[in-house]
Amino acid sequence: MPQADSIFWVAAVAVVIWAGVFFYCLHLDRKVRELEEHE
Amino acid sequence: MTDKRWLLKWLLGVWLAVVVLGAFFYAPTARGFKGESARIVFFHVPQAWVAVLAFCVNLIASLRFLRTRDPIDDARAASAAGLGLLFSVLATVTGSLFAKVMWGSFWNWDPREVSIAILLLIYAAYFALRQAVPDEERRGSLSAAYAVLAFVTMPFLVFVVPRIYWSLHPDTLLNARGSIDMESRMVQVLVASLVGFTGLFSWLYTLSVRLARIRLRRQQGVEG
Repeated sequence: MPQADSIFWVAAVAVVIWAGVFFYCLHLDRKVRELEEHE
Repeated sequence: MTDKRWLLKWLLGVWLAVVVLGAFFYAPTARGFKGESARIVFFHVPQAWVAVLAFCVNLIASLRFLRTRDPIDDARAASAAGLGLLFSVLATVTGSLFAKVMWGSFWNWDPREVSIAILLLIYAAYFALRQAVPDEERRGSLSAAYAVLAFVTMPFLVFVVPRIYWSLHPDTLLNARGSIDMESRMVQVLVASLVGFTGLFSWLYTLSVRLARIRLRRQQGVEG
């Protein structure tokens, strides 16, 4: 596989990992806010 | 929660996505490194920085707890130490990946590798100590005192030891000569990444403390 293609795939995987972490944090944030509202 | 806070979170999401793309497509290939291995610096350095920042927050919260005996300060200290440990592990993993590409082995007993491993053990012991003491007040006091002692070793292990001994590790961003030997586009991406990772730490830390506050209120409700 040419190096340019490899770097594209590594970047794509890194973006997907970050998107996963980000949306998980948003989900957690929403859950914590709901718990705070129930207090 | 206000719209402004949501906006900040989405801004952070976009910011770090742009940093990832910048690290691979905007920053040039570093000279003197095998292939594209040096690009890991855009993630490894901010992770190490956030770990140091988290241990500083842990120290401040521990000192506050020793003064106020407020359980939320203990929760703040534990949250910061947990995040510090997490980002230290990430920095170790990314460093090992770099070491494998550059030097052919994941672990080379380099002073910097050994010092981060010792630091990891010191902060892992912080959590072992917390688990071993059931009484909350006593746990808070002991772990706060331990955190102060642990922090004393941190600057020594992170900044002093790796500079005393010969190391395979590349120069730090600001090298011993007081200059930055890095292309300007690389510096731009690295600074953007440092800002993004600091924002991520701040978000995770706030989330963890908010959760601890809810747990404490519930505990007090049950006891009351």
